[in-house]
Amino acid sequence: MENNTDKFKTTRRNVLFGAGTAVVAGLSGANAAEKQGEQVTDAPVSDKTQERQSFYGAHQAGIVTPRPAAGMIASFLVLAKTPEEVERLFKTLSQRIAFLMKGGTPPVLDDKLPPADSGILGPVIPPDNLTITISLGSSFFDQRDWLKAHKPVRLSRMKASRNDALNASLCHGDLSLQFCSNTPDTNIHALRDILKNLPDFLVLRWKQEGSVPMLPPKPDGSHETARNFLGFRDGTANPDNNNASLMDKIVWVNQGDEPKWAHHGTYQVVRIIRNFVEFWDRTPLAEQEAIMGRNKASGAPHGGVGEFDIPDYSTDPEGKVTALDAHIRLANKRNKTSDENLIFRRPFNYSNGVTKSGQLEQGLLFICYQADLEKGFITVQKQLDGEPLEEYIKPIGGGFFFTLPGPANEDDFVGRTLLEASGYQVTRIKP
Amino acid sequence: MKLKVTLSASLFAITAALLPRVAAAEVAPLDLVAPIADYKIYVSENLEKLVADTKTFTDAVKAGELDKAKSLFGSTRMSYEAIEPIAELFSDLDGSIDSRADDHEKAEKDPEFTGFHRIEYGLFAENSTKDLAPFADKLLADVTELNKRITELTLPPEKVVGGAAALMEEVAATKISGEEDRYSHTDLWDFKANFDGSRKIFDLVRPLIEKTDGEFITKVSGNFDKVDVTLSKYKKGDGYELYDKLTDDDRAVLAAAVNTLAEDLSTLRGKLGLN
Repeated sequence: MENNTDKFKTTRRNVLFGAGTAVVAGLSGANAAEKQGEQVTDAPVSDKTQERQSFYGAHQAGIVTPRPAAGMIASFLVLAKTPEEVERLFKTLSQRIAFLMKGGTPPVLDDKLPPADSGILGPVIPPDNLTITISLGSSFFDQRDWLKAHKPVRLSRMKASRNDALNASLCHGDLSLQFCSNTPDTNIHALRDILKNLPDFLVLRWKQEGSVPMLPPKPDGSHETARNFLGFRDGTANPDNNNASLMDKIVWVNQGDEPKWAHHGTYQVVRIIRNFVEFWDRTPLAEQEAIMGRNKASGAPHGGVGEFDIPDYSTDPEGKVTALDAHIRLANKRNKTSDENLIFRRPFNYSNGVTKSGQLEQGLLFICYQADLEKGFITVQKQLDGEPLEEYIKPIGGGFFFTLPGPANEDDFVGRTLLEASGYQVTRIKP
Repeated sequence: MKLKVTLSASLFAITAALLPRVAAAEVAPLDLVAPIADYKIYVSENLEKLVADTKTFTDAVKAGELDKAKSLFGSTRMSYEAIEPIAELFSDLDGSIDSRADDHEKAEKDPEFTGFHRIEYGLFAENSTKDLAPFADKLLADVTELNKRITELTLPPEKVVGGAAALMEEVAATKISGEEDRYSHTDLWDFKANFDGSRKIFDLVRPLIEKTDGEFITKVSGNFDKVDVTLSKYKKGDGYELYDKLTDDDRAVLAAAVNTLAEDLSTLRGKLGLN
C-alpha cells in the first residue's frame, strides 16, 4: 500500500514539475526497482494454471487423465428424488463442471447482490488442470424405485473389512465428487461453486482433501511413482493408463451382464486409511521394507534393481526373497489369475490435524477404479486382510460408488444414459 | 440471475459492462416504510410475549417447579428466536440471554455463561432448579431491558430485510446439528420460530417484488412450505418432538431447505435496492 502511494505521489510530481528534476527521477527509479523485487505477500507463481482437461468423451475425466498434485473427495446426500429433479441435478452438475474445467469469467451481478462466484481464484477462473468426476452410491439407486432395476450389477454398500474402524460420519453417500487439480484452492473453489448452485439437491456429508508430493522434472523425461506418507512409492504396479485396450479391460465397464447405460463407466472405491506415522517412523527400515516388499529408497521389489522390475514369486515359493505376507505380494500375486483382480489406483495423501492422543492424523486417501468391483478391490482387500501392515494402518472411512459414463459432447450431460434407460425422456442441453 | 445462454468470456465481459448496475427490482425507499412499520409491530408483540413468558418460566424455576420449568423452556424461547436478527443488534444482551456454553472459555462452569442455556443446563443436564434463581432473575431483567431498548429503536431497513436470510444462516451454521438446545433437545421449537420469523419478513416485503420476480416468490414460498410440512410431522401437543427423533432423511430435507432459503433470501436486500 505504502509503496503504491509513494509511487503515485511521485507520478503526480512528475506531472506537476516535469520529469526533468534529478531528485524526482531518482526516486521514481528506486521505487520501480523495489516493486520488481518479490514481495512476501505476492501470490506464488505457477506456469500450469492454463492446463486444461476436456470434460467430454466416452469416459469422465479424472480417472485415466494425469493425476495432479491436489485431490479431494466430497460425499453427498441427494434430495433429488423424481426423474425431473434428477435430470436437473445431473444437468446442473454437468454445466457447472464444464464451466469450471474450461475456466472463464463468471457473470458480474449487481453489487447489491451476493456475487455469482466466491472470487477466491480472482475475477477470471483459471482451469488449473481441474477435473470433477461424478459417481453414484448404492443408496442412490436403492432409494429411488424407478432406478432400482437399473443399478449396476456389482454396486454394493461398502462393508467393513477386519482391520477397519469405520466412522459412520466418514462413510458412504448417495453421490461422490472427485476433484483433482494443480492446487487445493482450485478444488475448494469448485466445491463451493457446486454447493452454491445446488443447495436444494446436495447436502454435504463428508469430504477429504489430499495431495501428492511433487518432484523436479528429470533430464531424460522419465517419471517416478509418487510416495505415500509411509515414505514408499504408491502405485508402481498400476496398469498403464496410456494403454487404451488395457484400460478397457481393467477400468471401464463393458461386461454383458452390466446394464448397457453403464458401459464406459467404472467402479470407484474410496478409502480413508489412517497411517500411524509416529509408530511407522520408529520401525526399523528392514522391517518396513519386509512389510511392504520393496526397497524404500528406490522402490525396487526385493531381488530387483529398478522400481519397475517385476518380482518373480514363482522362483520364491517360500518367501525367502519377498515375504509371503508382504503387502505387494498379497495385493498382486503376479500370475495369470491375479490379472483378473487388477485395480487402477489414483491415491492422495491426507493430513488432518492432531488426534486426541496428540498424534498426527494423516494417511492415505485411497481411490481406485475398476471394471469389476468384486474381482477388483473387494478381492484384493480380502487378500490383504491380516497383513502385517495392518499394525500401522487403520481404514476409518470411504465408500463404493459407480462412476457414470462421460458426456459425449456439449449438448450431453453426465447421467443421461441412466435417465434414458429408466424410460425418462431427457432433453439435451442447448449449447 | 442465472445466465440463460453460455457466452464466451470476452463476449460476456462486454455484455456485462453495458448492463446498468442497478437492482433487479425497482423499489423506491418509501415503499419500504409500511412493511418496516408492520414488522416493528410484529417485533413488539413478540417482545411483550417474551417478557410475559419469561416471567412465568423464571417464576417456575425460582419456585423449584422442575417439571413445569422444563415444559416451558421450549415455548418461552420461541418469541426470542422469531426476532433474533433484531434482538442480536444488542450484542451485550444477546450474549447474556442466549449464548451457549462453548461461547465461554470455561464452558458450563464459566461465570459469564448465563441466560436461557445456563438455565437449560441446570434443568435438563443437572435435573435440578438448585442455584438457578440468580440466573432466572438476570434473564428476566435482560429480556425486560431488551424490550425497552428495542421499543426506543428505529429499525434499520437493511437489518430487517437482511434478517430473513440471517435467520436461515443461523440455522444452517449452528442449529441443524442440534447443538443449540443440546441439553433439552427442544431445537425444533427454535427451528419453527426461526422459520416463522424469516417468513414474516419475506411476506411483508413480498408485494414489492411479486410482479417483477414471480419465480423467486414461488421458489421461496415453496421452500418455506416444505419446511412447514417436514416440521409438522414432528408436532406433539402444543409443541414438538425432541430433536433426536428427527430422522436423518428429514434432517437432510431441512438442511437443504435451509441452505436454499439462505441462498435465495441472500438476494432479498439487493432486490429491494438495499445495501
